Amino acid sequence: MTEQTVSRESVVHLAPRRRNTGRIWKRRVIGLLLLIPLLIMAFIEIMPIMWMISTSLRDPSQSFELPPDFFPTSFKWQNYYAVLTSEKIDFPLFFFNSVKIALIVTGSQLITCSAAGFAFGRLRWPGRDVLFTIFLASMMVPGQVTTVPIFIIMRNLGAMDTHWALILPGLTSAFGIFLLRQYFMTLPAELVDAARIDGAGFFEIYWRIMLPLVGPGLSALGVFTFLGSWNNFYGPLLFLKSWDKMTFPIALVTLTGYMGMGNRAHVLAGVMLSIFPVLLFFLFAQKFVIQGIALTGIKG
Amino acid sequence: MSIKERERSLTRDEILTGYLLSAPSVLALLLFMVLPILASIALVFTNYDLLTPPTFAGWDNITRIFGDKRLGICYRNSLLITIGAVSLNNTLGLLLAVGVNRKMPAFLKYFFRTAFFFPVLCTTSSLAMIWGYLLAQDRGIINWMLGQIGMEPVRFLTSTQWAIRSVVMYDVWKSCGYLMVLYLAGLQGIPPSLYEAADIDGANAFQKFRHITLPLITPTAFFALIISSIGAFQIFDNAYVLTDGGPGDASRTIAMYIYEMAFKRYEMGYASAVSMSLLIILLVLTLLQFLGSRKWVNYD
Repeated sequence: MTEQTVSRESVVHLAPRRRNTGRIWKRRVIGLLLLIPLLIMAFIEIMPIMWMISTSLRDPSQSFELPPDFFPTSFKWQNYYAVLTSEKIDFPLFFFNSVKIALIVTGSQLITCSAAGFAFGRLRWPGRDVLFTIFLASMMVPGQVTTVPIFIIMRNLGAMDTHWALILPGLTSAFGIFLLRQYFMTLPAELVDAARIDGAGFFEIYWRIMLPLVGPGLSALGVFTFLGSWNNFYGPLLFLKSWDKMTFPIALVTLTGYMGMGNRAHVLAGVMLSIFPVLLFFLFAQKFVIQGIALTGIKG
Repeated sequence: MSIKERERSLTRDEILTGYLLSAPSVLALLLFMVLPILASIALVFTNYDLLTPPTFAGWDNITRIFGDKRLGICYRNSLLITIGAVSLNNTLGLLLAVGVNRKMPAFLKYFFRTAFFFPVLCTTSSLAMIWGYLLAQDRGIINWMLGQIGMEPVRFLTSTQWAIRSVVMYDVWKSCGYLMVLYLAGLQGIPPSLYEAADIDGANAFQKFRHITLPLITPTAFFALIISSIGAFQIFDNAYVLTDGGPGDASRTIAMYIYEMAFKRYEMGYASAVSMSLLIILLVLTLLQFLGSRKWVNYD
C-alpha cells in the first residue's frame, strides 16, 4: 500500500512542475470527497451499536424516546445490574455456560487441529490425501444435512439437554485442520531436515519446533472457534431444553419474548453483555483474525 | 513440501506419528461429519419420528419434495435472499475495500476497518434483536426517520413484501465487512507496478479501477461469490429472530423449513430429503459458478 503511493508520487515528479502541483491538489480534493461515502457507511454500521450502548445506559422509561439519541445521555449501570442480578432469570449462569462450552471447544480444537494440521501438512502416511480430500469436500456440506443425524446420535448417546451435545461435535473441525495446515506448510522444510539430522523425532518437531512458529494461526483459530461457539444459535436451540443449561444468546432471544418490549433497556444491556467477548477479542486479536480470513477466505 | 523432504525415505516413525497426531481429529470428523452425511442419505429413504423405529419409505420423501408448495415458497425466499445479499454484500464489500485501501492516515484506516468489521464477529441473533427494534413499525427509529422526511411508515417486519428485504438489509449490514476483508486481501495482492505504469500513461482513477483493479480482483470475487452464496442460502438466525419466517411463510428460509420439519414435527426422513435437495442445489450452484468463471475470471 505505502510502496504503491510512494512510487506513484516519484513518478509524478518526472512530470513538469506546474502541472504537478495542480494535479496534487486535484487529487487531494478527490481523495477527501471519496471519504464521504466511507464515512456514511461507517455511520450506518456504527449507529445501531451506538444506539444500543447509549439506550442500555438510560432509564428504561426513556428507551422508546424519539428522536433517538445515539450518544449516551446518562450512565445508569442499573440496567446491567438488574440483568445480572435478576432473581427470575440467572444471566450469570448463562454467561458461565457459554464461556465454559466455548473454552472447552477452543482448547480442544487448538490441540486436535494443530496436531492434525501438522500430520496432514508435514508428514507422509498412507491414506493422508484420501482423508484430506474427504474432509475438504465435507466442509462444503451445509450444516442442515448433518444436524438431523447428529440429533439422533445425541439422543442415543443420552446427550440431549447436556452441554456434551454442543461440545462433542466441536472437538475438532475440518476448517481448523485446513487453516493450520496452511500455516504449517509455509514453514521452511529445512527446519524438519535440520531437526532430523539432530536426531529429533517427528513428535518433537511438531511440538517443540513447529508449533511455536504457527502462533498467528493458532490465535486466528482460537478467536474463530471461541466466537463461533459463543455465537452459536442453532446448536443450543436444538439440543438444550432446561433453563439452567441455556447459553447466553439463546437465553436472550427466548427472554425477549418473555419480557416483551417493555423492558427494552434491560434487553439491550443483555445484548451488550453478549457481544462483550467479541469486543475483547476485537481489541486484542483483530490482526490475527483478518490474517486468518485472508489466508483461507473463511471465518470458521 | 520441498524436494529434500520428498526424498527423505518414509520411515515407520513418520507413518506412526502421522497416524497418532491425526487420529483424534480423524475419528471425531468421521463420527460427527462423514457418518452423519451418509446417515442423512439413508434417512431419505425412511420414515422416522424418533419414537417408533424407522420404516422403509422408498421414494416417498423424494416425490413429496416435488409436490410440496411450502417448500417451493421457502426455496423462492432463500433464492431471493441469496440474490439480494450476495449482490449487495459483494458490491459493497468491494467498494469499501477499494475505499479503505486508499492512502489515508493510519488512525482513519483503523477506524474504518473496525467500523465495518466489528458487526461481522458479533452474535448474529443478538444484533438481529437490535434491528428488530430499529425496524419496528411502532416507535421504530427507521420509521421515525422516514416520517421526518414525510414518508408513510413501512411495515418492515410484518408485511409480505418487506420481510425478506429486511432480512437482506440486516445481512448486508452485518456481513459486508467480511466481504471487505476478503477483497482487501485481494487488492493487496495486485502489484503496485501496474498502477505506476498506468500513471505514466496518464490513466485516471476510474480507468485504473476498470482496467487494472477489476480484472485482477476477479479470482477473489469468484471465491467470495461462492462462499457468500453458500452462506446466504443457509441463513437461519437472521430470519428466525427478525421475522420468525413470517408473515405466514413470506420470509421462511429453507434452513428454517428443515428445522421445522425435523425438530418441530419430527419428520426426520422428509427433513433429510429436503436437506439433501439443498446440498444438491448448492453443488449445482457452485458447479455453475465454476463453469461460468471461465468467462470472466482472470487467472494470469
